[in-house]
Amino acid sequence: MEIHTALSKQPAVLLACSTLSTDTNMTGTWRFVRPFHDEKTAPCGAACPAGEDIARIQMLTGRGAFRDAVETILLENPFPATCGRVCFQFCEGACNRASFDDPVGIRYVERFLGDMALAEGWARVPLKEPETPRKAAVIGAGPAGLSAAYFLGLLGWSCEVFEAAREPGGLMRWGIPAYRLSKDVLQREVARILRLGIVIKYGRTVRPQDLARIREEYDAVFVGCGLSRSIRLQIPGEDLALEGLDFLGRIRRGEVDAVSGTAAVIGGGNTAMDVARSLVRLGAEPIIVYRRRREDMPAFEHEIIMALEEGVRLMELVSPLKANRDGEDIILTLQEMRPAGVGPDGRARVAPDGERRQSLRVRSLFTALGSSAAPEWAPPAEQSQQLLRLGHITIRNGPAPLVFGGDLTNETQSVTDAVASGKMAALALDTCLEEGWERIIQSLGRARVGPGPALSMESYLGGARADRNRTVVSFEQLNMDYFQPLQRILPTIQSPEERRAGFSEIEGVYKKEEARAEATRCFNCGICNECDNCRIFCPEVAVEAGSGRRILLDYCKGCGICVVECPRNALSLEEEAS
Amino acid sequence: MKQVLEGSHAVSEAVRLARVQVVSAYPITPQTHIVEAISEFCSDGTMDARFICVESEHSAMAAVIGASNAGVRAFTATSSHGLALMHELLHWASGARLPIVMAEVNRALAPGWNIWTDQTDSLAQRDTGWIQLYCEDGQEVLDTTLEAFRLAEAVNLPVMVVLDAFFLSHTFEPVDVPDQDTVDRFLPPFDPRFRLDTKNPCAFGPITGPDRYMEIRRDIQAAMDRAPEVLAAVEQEFFSLFGRRYGAVDAFLCDDAEVILVVSGTAAATCRQAVGDLRKTGERVGMLKIRLFRPFPATEIRAILPKAPKVAVVDRNVSFGAGGIFAQEVKAALALHKGNTAVYSYIAGLGGRDITTATFQEIYLTTKDTPTPPAESVWVGLAQEERA
Repeated sequence: MEIHTALSKQPAVLLACSTLSTDTNMTGTWRFVRPFHDEKTAPCGAACPAGEDIARIQMLTGRGAFRDAVETILLENPFPATCGRVCFQFCEGACNRASFDDPVGIRYVERFLGDMALAEGWARVPLKEPETPRKAAVIGAGPAGLSAAYFLGLLGWSCEVFEAAREPGGLMRWGIPAYRLSKDVLQREVARILRLGIVIKYGRTVRPQDLARIREEYDAVFVGCGLSRSIRLQIPGEDLALEGLDFLGRIRRGEVDAVSGTAAVIGGGNTAMDVARSLVRLGAEPIIVYRRRREDMPAFEHEIIMALEEGVRLMELVSPLKANRDGEDIILTLQEMRPAGVGPDGRARVAPDGERRQSLRVRSLFTALGSSAAPEWAPPAEQSQQLLRLGHITIRNGPAPLVFGGDLTNETQSVTDAVASGKMAALALDTCLEEGWERIIQSLGRARVGPGPALSMESYLGGARADRNRTVVSFEQLNMDYFQPLQRILPTIQSPEERRAGFSEIEGVYKKEEARAEATRCFNCGICNECDNCRIFCPEVAVEAGSGRRILLDYCKGCGICVVECPRNALSLEEEAS
Repeated sequence: MKQVLEGSHAVSEAVRLARVQVVSAYPITPQTHIVEAISEFCSDGTMDARFICVESEHSAMAAVIGASNAGVRAFTATSSHGLALMHELLHWASGARLPIVMAEVNRALAPGWNIWTDQTDSLAQRDTGWIQLYCEDGQEVLDTTLEAFRLAEAVNLPVMVVLDAFFLSHTFEPVDVPDQDTVDRFLPPFDPRFRLDTKNPCAFGPITGPDRYMEIRRDIQAAMDRAPEVLAAVEQEFFSLFGRRYGAVDAFLCDDAEVILVVSGTAAATCRQAVGDLRKTGERVGMLKIRLFRPFPATEIRAILPKAPKVAVVDRNVSFGAGGIFAQEVKAALALHKGNTAVYSYIAGLGGRDITTATFQEIYLTTKDTPTPPAESVWVGLAQEERA
């Protein structure tokens, strides 16, 4: 019994215990530095010509909020399914994850979302309504013209697009081989653009002399007619060659079934790769003939690798001197070249290697040397207060402002750069008509992503992204304690043998789980993904969770733990105003 | 069922049987095997418990303090430098009256680096408000760990179960591992007297001014004062279920002894052998093993040691500038007694040096032949060249 007493009759414990609320102790008065949620710019979004909010897109995709992710893209880019296939993924080149394991498969995720958007019929509706109705004319239904119309459409404008061809898409339709972009995907993305009320007038070639009349009928004009003049080799016998872009267009119109024998493709850019790779599929044996070395090629490395995998051969350091017909064959005479230092533009230079020559017997000859603007469509070059050259566009003031965009003005010729041009045009025109010509620079500055030049529609409209700090988050600014190596997920991809067999799309698309998993690899640099590290680590429990995270300044002592423990640098510390 | 178990795993088995709910620990030799086995129990579902991985012993103790305050049964284990790193939070655990149980494997402190047994690490924490129980063998480790939860939860003080590095932690012995049902009868689910409760919010351990602090300290002392009686009650129940008991102290052949050797830990097992051997040669020697160090069982000691004219306390530890720590405590305990027992203090076996039966024989003979105890502790077993 005594034993039981010892065990059961323990006196109450005298404890230091308080039921007072924290109201009595406003520890915030101790603070001399103040943490704040300070969303910054992820390097991917700053590198994306279209200024997509990639960190947020990955965050939403990782959560399975696919529709929100799609809408986030569609605010900045009308062509996710297209860009998800053909973009040269500038974002992945900038991805901080590359310093850790492998960059996030951003383009694969975009393709997944783009395809899902088409399958689900998700689209954006106009985001505002101008006080007075605005109407724009767009010359060319290529990626730049359609983007300009799309973004103007989002801003409540009505647009009419004049297109010389019978189908929309421009270079996306005629210049990109089907194994990279199927016709069906493009058509459906254009159809979504047209749901904004945009009208395309096909078979309507606009000449420069028509502009004056058009400017009278519309509030603004966007010229995105592309580069229609191919650069010539200027060698004897050049007329034996087919121009590469024309050839790609003929393939896409179904006018070429097969090509046999050896084919020389002169050039080292992306079009040369497209031509050579198409020739492989048509049954020819293409050889790329390039005057510099492989590492000097302007084509993207990924394209070169794919071409070589598919059996395209490469001759480096040879420059064509002449082409002669020899029966069914063409004899190409080549001057051997040697490297000769670096030019003022930073590109490698080559010089003839004495008199060393070679001849190459081929069945067909192609040139892919790039294009330039037809002289009559060259953007104006004069210096004037009424003319702004803004990188992706050149805009001339007037009763109806006139914009030259797309490949006419872009330094890099890509679909995504064309989207950038169309967006910049739309924002500039909207500002010009709503606020005045002199406000354009300031307005675009407000809309820029990070340090620019990419622009954001969301920021232009004063959305949350406009408040984001323009500092681009570097790898060193992340807290890597919270990340583990994760293998980059690859979609299915055809073997070189499968690729050679035809023009079907090479890359597969992620399954839902794959898209989520890959998007989850994203560090979400600079943005709050509500991981709650700030809240969990706060010794004062002074971070409140709700929609977003809020610091309770009545209690925050300014210790800065939240700032340090934020894995993605979405908080900052500032000195308290005295 | 009897199993051949490593001393470390005797702790792990006891923790499993105690249905501990939260374990947090940081690995350190020679403790690691304890939590290694527990982490496997947690991951394979043998234990329904949360194992919290942490970056230091300081955090391990912080984590179990949080868990215990939330009202669950919590356990951790450490050794040596890990225990030293916990020091601040050891005070917190007892001050907050949390019945945490910790296995502490006695290991020497650096420098020089030494992973072998030495009691200075745990004895350096003697003033932190933790109950300390020193174990002699694997069975005692298992049984003491089970008793520790019962004791801790009865008096609302944390308990340290102390075992020697390697001699006990890494030695395999037959250990009777009781079945779960019987252990459940001995150790019911933890029913905390207070816990964090969102429905009845309060803050534990807020600022406590001079007007209140002293009473709270007095209450901790009162809980310590009750601990021996509660331990006896716990052991009585344990004995009725398992047939084993250990006591706060264990006297061996003390009644007619002229010299009583006072020991703790695994040295007690060696000492039993030495005492037996000496008895066979007609020497009147006994042994008192001290198992409970905090609270110090002064009453029990006063009931036994004054029977002999001489007492030799063998300390595997040292408080620099004061000598063997058990010896100081024994002297303090006997100070109240009006007898004439002389206390001799010896220091032996630091940093894992073996304490053999010969060591005890030497200590016994030295004590017997020395008429009055020296003022300082005598260091036994030093290498000759080191003594100069």
